Amino acid sequence: MPFLPSTRLMLFMLGSIGLITLPHAWHIPPVLFSFFTLLLLWRLLSIWQPRYLPNRFGVFLLMLLGIGLLYSQQHSVFGRDAGTSLFVVALGLKLLEIHGRRDVYVIVYLAFIVAVTQFLYEESILMALYILLVCGVLLATLITQNSHTPQTLAALKTSAAIILQSLPLALVLFVLFPRLEAPHWSWLDDDIHAKSGLSNTLEPGSIAELSLSPELVFRVKFDGELPPPAQRYWRGPIYASTDGVSWRAPPVLGRENNPDQPTFSDPSYAYTLMMEPQKQNWVFALEMPTEFGGGLRRNGLYQLITNKNPGDRAEYQISSSPSYNSGGISKTERKENLQLPGKPSDRVVELVKQLQGKQARPELFIGNLLQHFRQENFHYTLSPEAMPDKPIETFLFERRAGFCGHYATAFVYLLRVAEIPARVVGGYQGGQINEVGGFLEIRQADAHAWAEAWLEGRGWVRFDPTAAIAPERIERGVNVDLQIASGAVNFSPVQLDAKTLSWLQRGRQLWQSVDYNWQRWVINYDTVNQKAFLQSLGIDNFVKLGYWLVISVAGIGGVVAWRLLRPNRRRQDPALRLYRQFCAKFAKAGLSIEIGDGPQTVAERAKKLRPDLAEAIERITALYIRLRYQADSEAGDLQVLKKLVARFRV
Amino acid sequence: MNEAALSLKQRFKLSRFFTGEAPTQGPIVLTQRRVFILPTRRGLAFVLLILLLVLIGFVYNNNLAYLLGFLLASIFFVTILHSFKALAGLTIQPARQQAVFAGQAGPFNFQISNPGSQPRFALDLALQSELSISLAAEQTQTITLYQSTPHRGWLLPGTLTLSSTYPLGLFRAWAPLRFDSPLLVYPKPASKLLPFPDSDGGQDKPGQNRRRGDEFEGVRVYQRGDAIRQIHWKAFAKGQGVHSKHYSGASASELWLDYQQAPGHHTEERLSQLCRWVVDAEQTGLRYGLVLPGLRLPPDNGAAHYRNCLQALALF
Repeated sequence: MPFLPSTRLMLFMLGSIGLITLPHAWHIPPVLFSFFTLLLLWRLLSIWQPRYLPNRFGVFLLMLLGIGLLYSQQHSVFGRDAGTSLFVVALGLKLLEIHGRRDVYVIVYLAFIVAVTQFLYEESILMALYILLVCGVLLATLITQNSHTPQTLAALKTSAAIILQSLPLALVLFVLFPRLEAPHWSWLDDDIHAKSGLSNTLEPGSIAELSLSPELVFRVKFDGELPPPAQRYWRGPIYASTDGVSWRAPPVLGRENNPDQPTFSDPSYAYTLMMEPQKQNWVFALEMPTEFGGGLRRNGLYQLITNKNPGDRAEYQISSSPSYNSGGISKTERKENLQLPGKPSDRVVELVKQLQGKQARPELFIGNLLQHFRQENFHYTLSPEAMPDKPIETFLFERRAGFCGHYATAFVYLLRVAEIPARVVGGYQGGQINEVGGFLEIRQADAHAWAEAWLEGRGWVRFDPTAAIAPERIERGVNVDLQIASGAVNFSPVQLDAKTLSWLQRGRQLWQSVDYNWQRWVINYDTVNQKAFLQSLGIDNFVKLGYWLVISVAGIGGVVAWRLLRPNRRRQDPALRLYRQFCAKFAKAGLSIEIGDGPQTVAERAKKLRPDLAEAIERITALYIRLRYQADSEAGDLQVLKKLVARFRV
Repeated sequence: MNEAALSLKQRFKLSRFFTGEAPTQGPIVLTQRRVFILPTRRGLAFVLLILLLVLIGFVYNNNLAYLLGFLLASIFFVTILHSFKALAGLTIQPARQQAVFAGQAGPFNFQISNPGSQPRFALDLALQSELSISLAAEQTQTITLYQSTPHRGWLLPGTLTLSSTYPLGLFRAWAPLRFDSPLLVYPKPASKLLPFPDSDGGQDKPGQNRRRGDEFEGVRVYQRGDAIRQIHWKAFAKGQGVHSKHYSGASASELWLDYQQAPGHHTEERLSQLCRWVVDAEQTGLRYGLVLPGLRLPPDNGAAHYRNCLQALALF
């Protein structure tokens, strides 16, 4: 018998497949996605015009074309991108070849695989909900296929019911199924797509570029008090060597064994830091990190480096102390941090002399320099004019308007001229408090550059020239939304008053909080988190885990089975129920009552069996008939019937 | 419902799963005792799909891939319950069976009712023929399934298998049922058209010449047993009641169909020939009697007589 899929089935199937593949439009090469879309539309058209379907040879040619396209775009079948493309193209080709019920299943199963590949690109809560909905449509496709008289709404309802009934069990499996750390397969790696963020080089405009990006970099949840805003410096790369225009990170090789370990004093802050996917394996800890969990190390520049894949979201437990002493400095290090791109010009030397450089104590000179920034007509701006030639001098003496990068580099340059070892530190400053979730969100727009100078007896000390020009930048942080909207520098107050907080912002914070918890508890539920969570439940070995699995699966299965299989009887007419009790009493006494016997027939037979009860039988039968079949029954009748039946003894 | 409990041995008898329990007469309500569930090949492929999804979750350390895998796994479990629900609660009982001649497809009638408020979207019924139906809530339907009838006599229906792959096709739930509701199978009428035998039931003239007389004798009030072709339709149409026409020759031409006179090498051939004669005699409107060893049905005609004769032949 040739299999002819019904139009309804085809629409269900093509609809769900279109939806499930749609987000891949942003993930796989446009050529391949167009090829798939073409095949899908072709199949859609063929529902009404079956003669347009290609024959076997045509499908073969299309398959060759698909393989050719795949090869030209991906050169491989391994890895996320190539694998996804392969499944999408295979799904498209299979659509043209539906000869039996089996093919419908092959297509639906392929669609589930494509659904999973979506999660390799995006793990947001919205994507999860979207895929869940589309899976509902896929199940409805199967229901339609298995129904003799399919109904669209009923199929969708049943599939929704099945998914809802399955979710609790799925969640239990999710929590209890042991997560094993998968080995890292390098052949599965794809190029990390260009992500914005700080890099190894500090160009004059690189931080200003970031200041318009609302992209989340990391989130921090403090165990106790939050540090004051002026101490929220999240340390990133160090820029020490310069050619006068751009600044580069020094080589970090050989610095790991710095003999002078920094010393810390209280207070210290403990926090959980969750990094979003990054290009670099840097973790932006609060200055200075004292303790940090596995997977992290502190390099000689006091920067935290992770050994995990920076392309994955990851969570770290860190403690930091804002007061520290980094100790001594090696010769190479001193030389490195005094490096100048050439002989300083006369007016620079003049300025340093004027600010008592080399003559006074370094602290005094630094104070004078900051005073200079404050008193002279310096401005803080997001979009300074381009200074292609000798940017530092142009900035210091002519433009006097710049972003944090300009101030930090000029500051370090002048310190170096005054023979104080100094360097530029990149990272983030501030962050916005999420009122709902109680955590800090740090975005690319919070990117900042400041300076560090080495002082005898104090080690490396942080100086932020930006704070001298625009203290509100440090005290209040950047108002990301406004800054992006206006393209100009904007700062927001530290603690937003609950009343002035607009609904929009509140909504966004709520959403961020939900998203944070989603990332934290669902996406990041890995071996370590699972172990900690299960131990809090008292599960510390696999045997116990096995018991828990069996008990919870059986328990939930039992509840679902009870909900599903309990007889869903219609609410019976109370009169009928009472009459049935009456009949049952007689049936016990030996009266045979057939299905279809009317009450009169039953009454006649009952009277024959027990003539002594004739009166009661007649009353009950008459009442029942009146209640059930006649419109003139009275309100008290039911009560009477109830009493009579209850009192009735055979 | 009030079926006898099964002993442990009966409970694990393999035949229970395929041919069903011993035949019963009454209605059968499908409960967990009658319904069996096993995954289909598609269900097994679904398990492979789940394993693949969990593998992807493992390789890429992707929790959402795991989650989708687990969701499909629990859908797989929940579907078992839904498969049971597709059949549970249905009531099946045999309906009145109509006799047939051997060799014809034997129609078995069953009444299937859905007492619950839940509609059944796909039910497959199979005897030797197959049928797919759907039942709305609180609906009762009479269905006919066919089985071949090689021999005359009472024929019990084979195992009636009710099955469903609803909702997802991952599992097949089935209930093998056997009913003690036999179908009467008449002998197969011989294909050779032989002349009627000589009457020896008291008449001196050979039966085959005693065709119905041409002379119309009169009309009398219809009596049960009168051949339908004798009914005076014109009078009936005029509203004069049901009458049947009688012909003068009819009373004289009584035909005796005797087992001893039937040609044939063995019993079945003879019965087959007798059957042919009974059918022909009834069709031509003759009065005929049947003589079998130990049984004598006096000449008569009409549906009831016809059935009696055929039943006697079937059960001889």
